[in-house]
Amino acid sequence: MKSFLLSIFISFVGIYGYAQNYEIKGIVVDASGSPLPGVSIVVKNTLKGTSTGFDGDFILSNVQKGETLVFSYLGFVTKEIVINDGSLLNVTLTEDTQSLDEVVVVGYGTQKKREVTGAVSVVDSQTLEDLKPVKMEQALQGTVSGVNVTTTSGAPGSDINIRIRGIATNGDNKPLTIIDGYIGELGLLNPNDVETITVLKDAQAAIYGSTGANGVILITTKMGKKNSKAKISYNTYYGFQETSKKLNVLNATEYAALLNESYVSGGAQIPFPNISGLSKGTDWQDEVFETNVPIVSHDITMTGGSDKITYAISGSHLDQEGIIGGKKSGFLRNTARISLGAELSDKLKLKSNVIYTYFNRKTLPEGGNASVLLNAVNSPSTLAPYDANGDYTVFPIGNLGNEMINPLAQIANTYNDYNFKKLNGNFGLDYTLMEGLVLSSSIGFNTSNSESKSFAKIVDYGGKVFDVARSSVNQNAINNNDYSFDIYATYTKQIDDDHKIVGTLGNTIFKEWGNGLYATGYDIPNNSWSNADISLANGAPAPGVIPVSSYTFDERKLSYFGRLQYDFKGKYLLSAMIRRDASTKFGPGNKVGYFPSFTAGWILSDESFFGESKVLNFLKLRGSYGALGNDRIPTNGYISQLSGEATYVFDGALINGVATGQIPNPNLKWEEARKFDVGIDLKLLNNKVGVVADYFIDTRADLLIPFIPTSGILGPGAPGAASPTINAGTVKNSGLEFSVDYKNNFTDDFSINVAYNVTFLKNEVTEINGTEFIEGGVFGISQPAPSRMEVGQPIGYFYGYKTDGIFQNQNEVDAHPSQIALGAESAPGDFRYVDTNNDGVIDVNDRANIGDPIPEATMGLNLQFNYKSFDFSMYTFASVGNDMVRNYESIYPDANNLNYVLDRWTGEGTTNSTPRVTTAASVNNVFSTYYVEDASYVRIQNIQLGYTFNPDLLEKIGVDKLRLYTSANNLYTFTKYRGYDPGASSGAPIGGGIDDGFYPIPRTYMVGLNINF
Amino acid sequence: MKKNLYNTILLTAFLTIIISCSDDFVERPVEYSIDSENYFNSKAEYESALIGAYDLLQSTAINVLMSEIASDNSLCGGNSPTDVPSYQQIDDMIHTPVNVMLKKSWDFMFAGIQRCNYILEFKDKTEFEGKDQIIAETRFLRAYYHFELVKWFGGIPMKGDERFVPGDETTIPRSSVEEVYISIYEDLIFASENLDPVAYEQGRATRGAALALLGKAYLYEASSTNQAAKYELAASTLQKVINSGLYTLVQNYDEIFEMDGENGPESVFEVQYTDVEGASYGQEQYFEGNVMVGYSGPYGYEGPLFTAGNNFNLPVQEVVDAFEEDDLRKDVTILDMISWMEETGATYTIQHENTFYFNRKYIPRKRSENAALDLKLTNPNNYRAIRYSDVLLMAAEAYSKSGNDAKAAEYLNVVRDRAFGDQNHRITYTGSNLYNAILAERRVEFAGEGLRFFDLVRTGRAAQEIDGFTANKNELFPIPLEEIQFSNGNWNQNPGY
Repeated sequence: MKSFLLSIFISFVGIYGYAQNYEIKGIVVDASGSPLPGVSIVVKNTLKGTSTGFDGDFILSNVQKGETLVFSYLGFVTKEIVINDGSLLNVTLTEDTQSLDEVVVVGYGTQKKREVTGAVSVVDSQTLEDLKPVKMEQALQGTVSGVNVTTTSGAPGSDINIRIRGIATNGDNKPLTIIDGYIGELGLLNPNDVETITVLKDAQAAIYGSTGANGVILITTKMGKKNSKAKISYNTYYGFQETSKKLNVLNATEYAALLNESYVSGGAQIPFPNISGLSKGTDWQDEVFETNVPIVSHDITMTGGSDKITYAISGSHLDQEGIIGGKKSGFLRNTARISLGAELSDKLKLKSNVIYTYFNRKTLPEGGNASVLLNAVNSPSTLAPYDANGDYTVFPIGNLGNEMINPLAQIANTYNDYNFKKLNGNFGLDYTLMEGLVLSSSIGFNTSNSESKSFAKIVDYGGKVFDVARSSVNQNAINNNDYSFDIYATYTKQIDDDHKIVGTLGNTIFKEWGNGLYATGYDIPNNSWSNADISLANGAPAPGVIPVSSYTFDERKLSYFGRLQYDFKGKYLLSAMIRRDASTKFGPGNKVGYFPSFTAGWILSDESFFGESKVLNFLKLRGSYGALGNDRIPTNGYISQLSGEATYVFDGALINGVATGQIPNPNLKWEEARKFDVGIDLKLLNNKVGVVADYFIDTRADLLIPFIPTSGILGPGAPGAASPTINAGTVKNSGLEFSVDYKNNFTDDFSINVAYNVTFLKNEVTEINGTEFIEGGVFGISQPAPSRMEVGQPIGYFYGYKTDGIFQNQNEVDAHPSQIALGAESAPGDFRYVDTNNDGVIDVNDRANIGDPIPEATMGLNLQFNYKSFDFSMYTFASVGNDMVRNYESIYPDANNLNYVLDRWTGEGTTNSTPRVTTAASVNNVFSTYYVEDASYVRIQNIQLGYTFNPDLLEKIGVDKLRLYTSANNLYTFTKYRGYDPGASSGAPIGGGIDDGFYPIPRTYMVGLNINF
Repeated sequence: MKKNLYNTILLTAFLTIIISCSDDFVERPVEYSIDSENYFNSKAEYESALIGAYDLLQSTAINVLMSEIASDNSLCGGNSPTDVPSYQQIDDMIHTPVNVMLKKSWDFMFAGIQRCNYILEFKDKTEFEGKDQIIAETRFLRAYYHFELVKWFGGIPMKGDERFVPGDETTIPRSSVEEVYISIYEDLIFASENLDPVAYEQGRATRGAALALLGKAYLYEASSTNQAAKYELAASTLQKVINSGLYTLVQNYDEIFEMDGENGPESVFEVQYTDVEGASYGQEQYFEGNVMVGYSGPYGYEGPLFTAGNNFNLPVQEVVDAFEEDDLRKDVTILDMISWMEETGATYTIQHENTFYFNRKYIPRKRSENAALDLKLTNPNNYRAIRYSDVLLMAAEAYSKSGNDAKAAEYLNVVRDRAFGDQNHRITYTGSNLYNAILAERRVEFAGEGLRFFDLVRTGRAAQEIDGFTANKNELFPIPLEEIQFSNGNWNQNPGY
């Protein structure tokens, strides 16, 4: 050996007699700082090379100045380093999520990315690290084309809705989440436990058959790596939150002046004869919104592995207070996880992963008239928060309505607590029976229980609807369990060099069951939260009132599936899948559904006629078509149960009987999603640029609509009764997705990564059975439903009056068709509504499509730069063409207003857009275009700057990596929308996009630390 | 070899597991659930289902409120002209087939019928003592709901003793008004023959209630169609109630409408309410309280005796003026806010269509400590659906139309004696004058109780008395647009809509 080296040495000396030779020593680590064993190191254009050892270390001698070392490792971006001197090399390889060799999970198996024939997107842990999502769903906003994420509220721990390729069903639109192979819940995961998120958007998801109609999100959790020493990673951040928006409401002087005008116009006495000295009054939003509200997160992960065993152990803690009410709307989450992989023999592999989650959440009233925020927005700025005694001011009844109360008092009097505990995980075995044939079996489970408590304190708001005369505490305990048991065989066969076949056959059984128990106790000692427990409640309920209730459920699904994948020379790729599902949601004869699908791909760039293009490195065409099912409907819809309410009063006391519940529909059957997708994958310019484009048509047929309105003669109007669930129509979502990313390491010190994606979506209802339209949503008080599902229109479009300016004088009023049918005579300063049906009167038949909440396009633009020790990232998201209904303004005459009313009509020629203010009868508050706003927006979701300390310095103290960063979430939103959050939605397919005063998402400034040992 | 054996065993096991997972797995019983089609196995089960049939009576509160607003007694009110547009439009007689509250009324009454027919469909399943009473109560309730529907909407679909099933709306036609009345008569005749004369629990239908409702139905059909025979039937039927001797007028009119007066000697049938169960807006079918009461109360009221409401159903000057001088009913019926505020220092907030008058019979009283939220929806005031004075005045009307003026005047004057507290205000008219006096008496005796609109309609006087009323149209309310659509051409809309 020595002589061999010597001879090489001599030969080099002979050739480059004066060249300097170095013995290069170094260490190769991944982005998190943990050593990478087995990395191949080659001196470019030579045969000379080595690979890293157990600790990522290497020695390579006889390397000359100017030579280039090439570091490559499967799944990582290959790195080249030019040798200038003999110093120690610390090489960091970054994981290559865009790599075509990357393995993608596709359901009951994996595929290399180049072979994937469906529309599949992957989000990696780096994105999660950048975005610092509190809840996992947030990481999908703007990072994956075709996925839209809306918050139901900015309050800590609130639900977040994900819609993959639009809103297809009127029922549950949530995609299916599969965690390491079993059905789980995305929102509860600790983001730092997640390695990748894979989104299956098209018929590729058909292997999940009945559950995949809304798309599938596959989560792979972090595992240890083989032959790596224990690596500990600790991350923490501390942040300050504040509201991302305040509405522009009138100050006390403006408010009083406007109210006077409104009273004068209505022919009433002015309420504020003297407005001088009122000044600005109370800024109620400042009163309720807190600043510098803390959020803190810690998590620690330990991973490693030997030759046979890999492991990962982690724990996390998150504590977030609310920007309204602080701890009273706080969210606290702790998680712990252990994952273990073991090669028990050459043939038998074990994988297991168990997660424990605990969270605690407290909430304040939100949405609708009872909301703290609505009270803050609508409370007159002339009222003070506290009276002379320092108590909360009691609001007058009068023209402020029955609901408006002092929001500070409301926060103080709200008491609730929700505790949730969950254990979920899986155990899986893979056994290689013979070459190419692997039997897999796994069992996944979720078991959770939660307790909640809310306390209704005796409180007197002065005759408002929230007065409580008798204290009570409501407690409930809910227990949910499920398991999924998979057993399947995978057979892989390579015939010659050209044909490769992979067949998968198996079954899954899924069972979920649980129960809930609710109880109320009355008369809490001392009327205090600290005594608020049924154990101390000593009052009996009123006779006939049943203070307890419970439920149980047991739902099951049995599925068989098969998949055949075939490729020829690695460039013609075909797959066919079929799944047979049987579900307890359907009655006899309708339980079983069959869901076939096909996908095909053609890697053009492998064709000989394609040649060795320098520009175009990879080109794949792919297409898929398949059927998927949906059974997410209320249980037992096919039978008639005595679950209705039957309560009457005899002898002065309530007495309870029985009555039928939901009207049964024995013909209930599977809803079917037919998904068509054609796409193209491109790699350009030395793989620096990647492009993915897809065109899709998702048709949802036999749409299962729970509680679809039916004729009243069937009895749906009875208490506890409901309309049946019916297979009621067809909705089509079609669209285009396009994403491009550019990645380049300009020098060792400077790299850039830019990604942009856009989705254009069109939603159309194409069929409704049995009725002309289905209504939903609420606007104002006692007004007709504002949202509709109707053939030829997008689902949930807004149905109201079109305005055509403002009557400037009485002649204009007289010249226009009568608007009396809207509830009042019109006068100058009122809206002129369009007579859309030209029948000479303005009435309900003149309502028309005045907008819809579905964005025409959504897009994300994400940037990352690395320069020397600094890293910078920015994530932005934009939504274009989504409309939102302004429904957070009080209809009461004395409520405060947004300051746009300062531009109101005050006489002929003053304005044609904002009507007069008056306490008199007017028709200006019917649902019209006036209340529909364009809620398009661009949001800087996250911006982050990090600094990584020089590893050489750290090595001495035993630290692999130390990074400090500062970051801001939801830094700014560009929008014309007047409300708190243009990106919020209740998520209701019919009735979504109506803003009842969404709790704004917080803007968070944080500083954080990542450290790896 | 050993290895092959091993593998074979594993493969067999694998296949066995897959194949042995049969569809039996998805056949599971529904736990802790009672199948509605396997019920009625004991008397107790019939009794339980009957409570469900009574339940919908409480939702008739919106009918009472709407009919009062529809009449010439009250304005709609509310906080603005767009507060509950359904009510506003009915007040102005500009209502259309698109009307949320009419749709609710339709749905609630049919829900009641469906629950009655659930019992009647299984009436022969189990035999037990006392079954006739249960069936009789059920048929009384069905007649009550049918009567509401025929008053509001005219002919409606009926299916005998069977429940409607999906699809019936497109195949079962609307029965004629006459056929609906025939069904009502049959039900009430059966009920009157089988019900206990005295309620075994307060709130139960009695023989007297069945007879009074039967007489009322006869009278309504008689007056709408001018059938002498029906007037006679009405008179003889109502006479049975009078003859029973079970009912008397409460001497002090004021006592009738207070809590202590509930289920009193004058009450022939009373819809029962309580304040102990909470309620929220828009869910009237669940209410155990009388929603009409909270709606009719003065907005922001603070003062003695009463509590605040939503400012609906505001009496107009005309009805106040309809009371003769010295009529003791006036101050019980009408709360005159101007004098009340002066007298007591009470305050309230003036809202839309303020008249300074409120329907004192049915506005919120001071609430008990048990009163559940929302207070405006949980008022416990029972609705005195058929008072004995109504029986007397209906009998008077029927006798007047049957040529028995003496009886007619007698019964009218019984009511007037109580109203004035003396015998100096007796009517001595005959013929049409007497008839008109009876109708005029009905207006003041029952102002605020929801009878006025249909009295005007059935006697053909609505068009002359109610502003905006269009003859040959507004006698009936429109079938809700949704129902016309569900019927897919099976049901025609009422004339004029």
